[in-house]
Amino acid sequence: MNTASQEEFIHKIKIALGKPLAESQRNVDFFKSDMSDETRGILERIKNRTPEERKKLLATLIEAAGPINLKVISCEDINSVTAAIADLVRDKDPEWGAKKSVVAWQHPLIENLNLPEALSPQDVTVFFTDVKETESGNLRQHVIDSYIGITAADFCMADSATMVMRTRPGQARSVSLVPSIHVAVIELNQIIADLKELYALLKWDPQESKEGLTNCMTFISGPSKTADIEATMVHGAHGPRQVHVYVITS
Amino acid sequence: MAKITTENYVAEAKKAIKNQVLQEALADLQHRFGRGTAECYRQLPEGPDLRLRAHDIRMKDIENLDVVLETLVANIRKNGGHVYFAEDGQAAVNYCLEVAHKHKVRRVVKGKSMVSEEIGLNDALVEAGIDVSETDLGEYIIQLAGETPSHIIAPAIHKTRSEIGSLFADKLDIPYDDDPSRLTWAARKALREKFLAADMGTSGCNIACAETGHITTLSNEGNIRMSTTMPRIHVAFMGMERVAARLEDHDILLRLLCRGAAAQNMATYVSYIGGPRSAGEVDGPQEFHLVVLDNGRSRILADEEFREMLCCIRCAACLNVCPVYAKIGGHSYGYAYSGPVGAVVTPLLVGINRAADLCQGETLCGACQDICPVNIDIPRMLLALRTKLAEGDSAWGVTPADRKEKLLFQAWSWMIRNRRLYDAAVKLAATGQRLFAQKDDMIGRLPPPVHGWTKGRDIKPLAAESFISRWKKSL
Repeated sequence: MNTASQEEFIHKIKIALGKPLAESQRNVDFFKSDMSDETRGILERIKNRTPEERKKLLATLIEAAGPINLKVISCEDINSVTAAIADLVRDKDPEWGAKKSVVAWQHPLIENLNLPEALSPQDVTVFFTDVKETESGNLRQHVIDSYIGITAADFCMADSATMVMRTRPGQARSVSLVPSIHVAVIELNQIIADLKELYALLKWDPQESKEGLTNCMTFISGPSKTADIEATMVHGAHGPRQVHVYVITS
Repeated sequence: MAKITTENYVAEAKKAIKNQVLQEALADLQHRFGRGTAECYRQLPEGPDLRLRAHDIRMKDIENLDVVLETLVANIRKNGGHVYFAEDGQAAVNYCLEVAHKHKVRRVVKGKSMVSEEIGLNDALVEAGIDVSETDLGEYIIQLAGETPSHIIAPAIHKTRSEIGSLFADKLDIPYDDDPSRLTWAARKALREKFLAADMGTSGCNIACAETGHITTLSNEGNIRMSTTMPRIHVAFMGMERVAARLEDHDILLRLLCRGAAAQNMATYVSYIGGPRSAGEVDGPQEFHLVVLDNGRSRILADEEFREMLCCIRCAACLNVCPVYAKIGGHSYGYAYSGPVGAVVTPLLVGINRAADLCQGETLCGACQDICPVNIDIPRMLLALRTKLAEGDSAWGVTPADRKEKLLFQAWSWMIRNRRLYDAAVKLAATGQRLFAQKDDMIGRLPPPVHGWTKGRDIKPLAAESFISRWKKSL
């Protein structure tokens, strides 16, 4: 809050470390701005990944997803994703109320699914977390009322089966959290190997680093779980009880 | 402030050992969790030695903490967040109360945070008339029962399913049930109401990232995401040491943290939070506050002997392998931090004399260091604390725990440097020991002032003739 308390606080740390109080930040080498050869190699590897290598990453992802109860389904094209989601909506019942509604991100990939049309025969409403809904003040209630939340993702790390989502207008963070079932749709080229690749992209890729981490970057690895009662694993503690990831391979 | 009951360590430990429920809950703990974590380290592409690199990263952060922290808070402010530096727990609590007051907060949901236990945040909020809910399932159980957590990441490890069943039946007004799944879902339902109604959410911080200006929170349940997404205000608390300089350092630290804490590759949820919701965003808190806490940490930082302890990322792996923790449970340690980490951190935070028994209760077996994701030399620091207790230390305000023992050792040291005197004393003792009760060729009780040595064990009598004298005869 007040800068005086910060100054005193940092002074105390400097004294504890035996550093001269006037030492400048510039003397420290951690925040240096040149890319290491290792990082350059990582970025090259991501850029030049062949379709076969990507398929291999998908296989790694599916393998890592099993033990954490994350369902990864590969789909040929976007139409088969739409069909799969329509089936899911038909098969699953709401946890909290009787009425079925779905909430989805305003995102090109998600909008291309044409869900409102696909789900209308089932009389299921699809709400989008767009600006219009925000302005009307109903968005929060729609998220709470919906039993399935549908999002895209920025990346998916294969080795730990982790989706990475940044926050943007139209892409509410609560959609992957409050509904009982979370559905994510990604494309094959969004799969990366691991944290190392993610951080290299976020820090050094010109486009990604421009956007940065945003004020809320979330990793999601499977459904919510707990083992707080006698170390017995239970899925669905506070977040979604199920997570389905559809990977478009074409 | 949080209650400190470190003086009762011995009495509480005795009670814990006789507590059948606790003993059953902790039975085989070392094999269940400890082994899983060790196996996870072995499966790392870099192998278990990655822990040594993590140690170097953390040490470098700590040794440059001034710069790293200033970078972090400058970036968080740039992201639109507020930062407050709290000298002690009271200042941190007061700040949170101020924010709550300013925004007319009536309901708070808490993501699990050891720092908030350390500063006694719950009680202060309740006293201010605010409704506070713990949201981690284990913490929620503990809160309903009116207890304190007994494990850093499994707070209700000491409670059985039937105890929890009765507790929920009583407090949540539901039929008795002892099935962990149904109990979890009952809590899910009760807490969902709390999340949606709360005005403020609080959290801790696992390990911040200075260069990007983010704190991180990890959970498997999703309660921390709920607490930091749904309410209008988010207040995060972090010990001033919980920050890494660079984003790439998080690669190693996060992987090791998740393995150390729960033998998993990645926590279900990891959030990087840098500030409030940005313009045009549809949800997330409207205000974000970060409270950076000293509360005795700068004193640890100033002492090179203990500085290493600030590398700790509070994963609780050391609790899971500690033979002492596995017997006496977390409550015996008398403060927020238990197990080997508590045996070092607690005395340094609350006073070495006040928590004297904690470091003396540990075995020095070294399992804690072997399992530590950042390879902290806890046994070395346990010994250093014992030295301070034996010799006294003015910088830490330590008075020797037992002056009589010190005198005795001074006399002993003088005697063993005097050959003849020593031989005479040994001879006298060998003869004199016949006076003391012997059973099965062991001495079961010694007279004062050395009676303490036979309180918990028998000792072997001295041989009738010393080795030196027999050696001389055989030549």
